[in-house]
Amino acid sequence: MPHKPVRFVVTSLALGATVLLLATSCAWQPTLDDPEIAERVRAPQDGESSRGLQVYPLRNPAVRELEQAAEAARAEGDFDRAGALLERALRIEDRDPELLQRMAEFQLSRGRWEQAESYAVRSWELGPQVGEICRRNWQTIALAREREGEVMGAAQARERVEICPLEPPERF
Amino acid sequence: MAGKPVPRRKKKARGSRKRPQRASVRPRLRQFVLFAVGLAIGLLGPWIWWLDRQVSLRFADRHLAEASRVYARPLELHDGLAISRRDLLVELEAAGLRSGSPDQPGRFRADGERIEMHAPAFEFPDGRQAPRRVVVRLRDGAVEMPDAAAVLRLPPAELGRIMPLGDRVRTPLEIDEFPALLVTGAQAVEDRRFKHHGGIDLRGLARALWANLRAGEVVQGGSTITQQLVKNLFLSPERSLLRKFNEAIMAVSLEWRFSKAEILEAWLNEVYLGQDGRRAIHGFGRAAEYYFGQPVEALDAGQIALLVGMVRGASWYHPLRNPDRARERRDLVLAMFRDTGLIDPATYRRQQASGLGLRPSLRSGATPYGAFLDLVGRQLRADYRERDLRGTGLRIFTTLSPSAQAVAELALSEGLSRVEPEAQSLQGAIVLIEPGSGEARALVGDRVRGRHGFNRALDARRQVGSVIKPLVYLLALADPDAFTLVTPVEDRPLTVPVPGSEAWRPVNHDATSHGTVPLLEALARSYNQASVRIGLAVGVDALFGLMRQLGVAPGRAAHPAAFLGAVDLTPLQVAQLYQPIAAEGYSTPIRAVRDVVDRDGRSIARYPLRLRPLPQRDALALLDFALRRVVTHGTASALPRLLGSDPGIRGKTGTTNDQRDAWFVGYTADWLGVVWAGRDDNRPAGVGGASTALPIWADLFSRLPLRPVRPARPEAVEWFWIDWPEPLLADEDCDGALAVPFIAGSQPEALSECIERRGVWPFGG
Repeated sequence: MPHKPVRFVVTSLALGATVLLLATSCAWQPTLDDPEIAERVRAPQDGESSRGLQVYPLRNPAVRELEQAAEAARAEGDFDRAGALLERALRIEDRDPELLQRMAEFQLSRGRWEQAESYAVRSWELGPQVGEICRRNWQTIALAREREGEVMGAAQARERVEICPLEPPERF
Repeated sequence: MAGKPVPRRKKKARGSRKRPQRASVRPRLRQFVLFAVGLAIGLLGPWIWWLDRQVSLRFADRHLAEASRVYARPLELHDGLAISRRDLLVELEAAGLRSGSPDQPGRFRADGERIEMHAPAFEFPDGRQAPRRVVVRLRDGAVEMPDAAAVLRLPPAELGRIMPLGDRVRTPLEIDEFPALLVTGAQAVEDRRFKHHGGIDLRGLARALWANLRAGEVVQGGSTITQQLVKNLFLSPERSLLRKFNEAIMAVSLEWRFSKAEILEAWLNEVYLGQDGRRAIHGFGRAAEYYFGQPVEALDAGQIALLVGMVRGASWYHPLRNPDRARERRDLVLAMFRDTGLIDPATYRRQQASGLGLRPSLRSGATPYGAFLDLVGRQLRADYRERDLRGTGLRIFTTLSPSAQAVAELALSEGLSRVEPEAQSLQGAIVLIEPGSGEARALVGDRVRGRHGFNRALDARRQVGSVIKPLVYLLALADPDAFTLVTPVEDRPLTVPVPGSEAWRPVNHDATSHGTVPLLEALARSYNQASVRIGLAVGVDALFGLMRQLGVAPGRAAHPAAFLGAVDLTPLQVAQLYQPIAAEGYSTPIRAVRDVVDRDGRSIARYPLRLRPLPQRDALALLDFALRRVVTHGTASALPRLLGSDPGIRGKTGTTNDQRDAWFVGYTADWLGVVWAGRDDNRPAGVGGASTALPIWADLFSRLPLRPVRPARPEAVEWFWIDWPEPLLADEDCDGALAVPFIAGSQPEALSECIERRGVWPFGG
């Protein structure tokens, strides 16, 4: 088969380009969509599964369904559709911490740092302020601030990530 | 005319070759004939060329003038959605669904609390949604969808057609949106050989002539659909041979240049079908709305037959003016449908026995959503590029909620009639938005439902009175070193020097001064003298600056009376000022448009959701608390009784000098409503914020689904028990203690006697 070597070359070229892209995206401020950044928010810290107190509030099934559809669209690389589906979900329920955090991660993966931070802050305010989602909130805020060049703000957010597994402060 | 003599003379000329002996006369005749032919070609050629050019240009132009369709926000049905049965039915009907067997798309059946519906397919900006059939149950004012997928997006209601750049209004539809029976039935009645002829149908003409001769009256028309279209589109109504000739040439040209489907579609949209007052009704789409109050796709065979019959003579067979004639004609058309096999005999019998099915629109001469469409048009012109709007057949997706709009119209008209049962001098307006997204859900600009003239929601610039005060207090609270909710403020007479004019001495509404009061109380009870003192501390420039920051131009020169609302604003602008207050400090421009899509389904521009926290977010949380106090202990304390419940409403009343204007602005997490009432001539109207605007607002909100308000507090805000009304720290066991939010660090330091007495430190170890 004469096509085989050609295909091999193309594949290796594509692989190489991907590796190169991945390598540069760490150093560069990405102007392209950067789905990996959202993965970094979700990945459990230190390789262990979620620590400490977890709160799983009752959720609107419509929001969950749209969220899953958005996730599927994102996985297929259809970011416009993913964004539209998340917006649809937010129009149904704009106070769901999980949904707001997903929107924050989506904004992060599109390089909209300021929106990513705003949605993560909103999610934190309305959320349990403890556990896994709290960690994702502050992780997003930290990454967004880092990309914006706010060194101090990013460092503060990282400190907040650390205290998320603990009980929230008692407040009125 | 000119075409006929030419070949005859040619024949004679040809014949002349056989008789050469009379050649001496022939050359002159031949010259004349040649001259005539040349003249004819020379004149006719350009004439035909010109007609042909007119046809192609103007037919294409017709597309350019095509209106844009405007849609409401689609209702997302899901488990737990709070909606009343009445509102759900309003939404279904607005979305074009009709009562009937849900076997068919576009129909629903309401059986008590069980509603089965078959939502038709719809092309959303994010893609096509297939038809879906679901059963919905309503229990305790909420939707249950047991066996369907979690969410069903209903097709959006069509609100009307607009020309974004202003122009004639039409109701064009695409050919596949017309019911098949209408498309084939109209051909069967008007032009049976439409598919086969080339614009003019000589055989059809002959047959029509023969049929008319046999019947002794005109039963069939001779002109083809193409000719009728030409007549409608390009020609004046006078009858003359020249016009007939032009019509024929243009018909042939149209057929040559455009497809049968394009011609038929244009005809279905252009054919004359009667008068609505001074406005002509063109096209079956508009006619269906006008005569039956229904979209054309929902018409039954009898209704289709009635309209098809009217093509022959829209005023002669006008179903409202000449019902008997119209009915006779409809039955004749139904019979033609049956004879050509378009309907079965059973349908024929059933339809023939039924009435005309007329349900003329009650709001004849007005678009039902006129006030809102106004806002849509203005926002499009402000935010979109003109060349994008020039596009033909745009689809505009907006934010209106048809059920909320219906409720708002009712609340205003009933509310003003209660205040003023006989005279009609009082007017009003309502703006209802969803605060988080800033989306406009309803807009009422006149107390008469459906009347659309002066749009007060957008254009009535009126003094706002105390409705402005929350902004003054917000600016004060944004400086926590100077002001907190418990800062003592003097409500005593004061004199404010005004450069270049007389000194100003503000007075209170009840003409008394209340001494030293906490800032919270001064706002809740709307004390003027205390408010002016706070205003002077922040400054008029800061107030106007904040208004500009929120997207509202304050207008006139800065006079300190602005602290008490001597500022002219429209109800929409007031809603804009309150939007971030109701949205927990996230600011967004009020929007009526979500998305604009061109005729190929491409999005021209959309407004994505964005979160923009205001710098004064922390202070806004304090202000929110104060506006809650207005309802529980202040000027709007009648509200819970009027509403019958209180899910945690926040609001502010406003009344202007001599009771000219009445305002109430109130919100929950899901709705922000502005109500204004007053006279168009700005004379004293005897109205008041609490007495006139508040009951209308309460009436509106009592019909909206309300969820309890649980605002999230920004991190910087902390709560402390206060020995109300003294600015002293207390704890929850102290008598009359009040929990008050503070920006962390700004809470009072002095302890209440109650704490000293009990000797407990209230804030733990």
